Amino acid sequence: MRGARWAVAGAVLIALPWLVAAALPGQQRYILHVLVFTSLYGALALSYDLVVGHVGSLSLAHPAFFGVGAYGAALLATEARWPFLAALAAGLLLAGLAALVVGVPMFRLTEHSFAMGTLGLALVTQIVATNWVDFTRGPLCVTGIPKPQVGDFRIATLPGFYWMGLATLAVVALLYHGLTTFRLGRAFHAVRDNETLASSAAIDPLRYRMLAFTIAGALAGGIGALYVSYVGVLCPGELTVSLSVNLLVMIFLGGVGSLRGVVVGAAAFTALPEVLRMAPTWRMVIYGLLLLVIVIRVPDGLEGVLQRRGARWRRSAPEA
Amino acid sequence: MALFETRGLTRRFLGVTAVDGVDLAVEAGELVSLIGPNGSGKTTLFNCVTGYLAPDGGRVLFRGQDVTGVAPHRIAHLGVGRTFQLVSVFPRLSALENLLTFLQQHQEERFVGRLVRAPGVRRLEAAAVERARSLLESVGLGARASAPAGTLSYGQRKLLAFAAALMPDPELLLLDEPAAAVNPTMIEQMKAQIRALHRAGKTVLLVEHNMDVVMDISQRVVVLDHGQKIAEGPPEVVRRDPKVIEAYFGR
Amino acid sequence: MIDLLEQLVHGLTLGSLYAMVATGLALMFGVVRLINFAHGEFYMLGGYAFWYAYARLGWPYPLAGLAAVAAMGLFGLAYERAVIRTILSRTWHVQLIATLATSITLTNLAILAFGTQPKEVPTRLSAAILDVGGIRLAWQRILVLVAAVVIFAGLEWFVGHTKLGKAMRAMSQNREACAVVGVDVQHVALATFGLSAALAAAAAALVSPLFNIFPDVGALLTLKAFAAVIVGGFGFVKGAIAAAFLIGLAESLAAGYVSYAYKDAIAFVVMVAVLLVRPQGLFGRRIGI
Repeated sequence: MRGARWAVAGAVLIALPWLVAAALPGQQRYILHVLVFTSLYGALALSYDLVVGHVGSLSLAHPAFFGVGAYGAALLATEARWPFLAALAAGLLLAGLAALVVGVPMFRLTEHSFAMGTLGLALVTQIVATNWVDFTRGPLCVTGIPKPQVGDFRIATLPGFYWMGLATLAVVALLYHGLTTFRLGRAFHAVRDNETLASSAAIDPLRYRMLAFTIAGALAGGIGALYVSYVGVLCPGELTVSLSVNLLVMIFLGGVGSLRGVVVGAAAFTALPEVLRMAPTWRMVIYGLLLLVIVIRVPDGLEGVLQRRGARWRRSAPEA
Repeated sequence: MALFETRGLTRRFLGVTAVDGVDLAVEAGELVSLIGPNGSGKTTLFNCVTGYLAPDGGRVLFRGQDVTGVAPHRIAHLGVGRTFQLVSVFPRLSALENLLTFLQQHQEERFVGRLVRAPGVRRLEAAAVERARSLLESVGLGARASAPAGTLSYGQRKLLAFAAALMPDPELLLLDEPAAAVNPTMIEQMKAQIRALHRAGKTVLLVEHNMDVVMDISQRVVVLDHGQKIAEGPPEVVRRDPKVIEAYFGR
Repeated sequence: MIDLLEQLVHGLTLGSLYAMVATGLALMFGVVRLINFAHGEFYMLGGYAFWYAYARLGWPYPLAGLAAVAAMGLFGLAYERAVIRTILSRTWHVQLIATLATSITLTNLAILAFGTQPKEVPTRLSAAILDVGGIRLAWQRILVLVAAVVIFAGLEWFVGHTKLGKAMRAMSQNREACAVVGVDVQHVALATFGLSAALAAAAAALVSPLFNIFPDVGALLTLKAFAAVIVGGFGFVKGAIAAAFLIGLAESLAAGYVSYAYKDAIAFVVMVAVLLVRPQGLFGRRIGI
């Protein structure tokens, strides 16, 4: 019974802080910290996969939207003393608006130019974040970002942040599922797999690309806002091209276009280096090589391997 | 008023005039074939009237409305269906889902309703599946409804593309070489399908090289050569037209 | 006035750099229809090779420069063999991600090998200043410009008069026809990569005495070179060269008169502006080397 399996998995995930405390007492803080990152990264990767995996647009601008949301929320919370929910909403809206504005000219570009154009956007955003010191504090970073607070309810403990991360991942996953199945999913996939044919089926490629791009951008901004409320500090170094590479590794490692695949990829990506205690530079070398090998040899990722083993067409299961 | 018309349609490519001032009119319910030697501009014309290419001159009218240069998805939404010369399907979707994809834009879209699967939405979907299944049956693909379109043979994919174009019940159907690269049995099947459409009152304009097919099913034939219309009329008349004979053989 | 002229000279120096790098990118795209995201790293590694030969081994400037060019030429060949050949037949998504991955790997390997501190490679010419009516410019800048002109002239001759060069031009116009006629397509692709990498290394050897060498230099350079390729009209090398100079001058003037901090954004702004107005680039629709 699938329902029962979901309920059990859900219960385990919610109870995880206590389970970890019981099983690995000294490690609880560390493990929960990693899991917060895993769930936020997982949500971010899912939002990115909407664009890359489901409408087939290789955008490299995701760090820019993450950054807009993060900086928007951080500055509103620290400078203008906006409450948490308002800052979060602002992060979502600002990033979504940014995506809407840059999406229109970007989607006029084809293929390589689109990738380069979006890469340029990410670089420019980073340059602005680094140099507009009056506004963003530049390399001095925005500090003292307050923890999430709604009325009297405050998230200040690690288990609390873990649940916040879990809830974020769950919400984004639900949204991802709804957007990529049924008719909307078919429209996205039609645009991705055969744009010419999709047009002849009265599907407007630009409209659906913009829809995915804007929603993905908004989500990235919201996740950025949540991220800064956990870390408390925001520096321009968070918005580098490396973030795009990381997201690409997660998506391709796990399985582009697949909910389960992307989440698994994100988990593997965040957990592994923690387990291996790799230095950041070596980490990037490994990721680079990993991405290279995966994209050439196993472009379907882990999910593809599993599917070939099981020989089932789960990804395009008819919803009719 | 003709259902579909081009007036002085012109399109150039790097100095070559692929379509040169073509006037073409198709009345509702007609079955018209567009023929001509290779490179005479037939597919270019198709692409111009369906929005994939912007004409350099002239106008395209559908139901009296000027649709010159309108984007392909909007022309499709107005009720124009087409197939492509190089057969085109969505390979990762099943045959059934291919057809469903062609209908969905013509049904009202209510996102929230879809999320919670409201009863009205479910009825629409059921009707869509029903229609898709019967169309697949009518082209002989009923048994392969769940098969991924990429696994079908070339001829089967052609039939699938044909069925998909019919799914939204278009008023005008443009078929680009339906009989090309297909075995004789399949050709007969195609001809029967097209005739059935004609009997049902649909308007069909097809581009075709296979003269047997053209002569057999067309009400009217239009001949292009070097982008210009050189002849027009019933099949029997056109085949004897000296200009047409010269265009095909006098090179 | 002096300021303006000095900015212009600086712009020409930048333009020469961007043009040499963009030419390699345009050549690769022209001949094998592939965008090499790791192209900036050819420049970066060429710079380190030059630094090693000049500053570490103490070789004289011309020798060190040639050594860097030769080393990168070989690296380009190896890169084509190892990475490019496997992705040539794949979709552009795969090509993009694969070359992007290579770029990240090379950049981080460079950090591990050389550290993040920029390497300075001052030469006699970069220290010697020429004073022309109040304008002060390093002799190196003149060398850069002259060398660039010589290199482009050489390239033009190569493409027009050698068997390999003519094959490259032919392939950029019609790859399928070339394979049919008997041109060794793989051989030409290999040579193109070697040549592009060598060009980038030459640029590094010429320009590093003026700017420094650091591991991240490749990323921005790739973007600007790509901007030049796009603005010039995809696949048209001469257009890319012209566009590269345009971008170099724009960047220098912007740095001087608008804002130094945001100068790197100029290339991107120019690119987007041109693309929105003329999607095929300034000289678009023309293909060929």
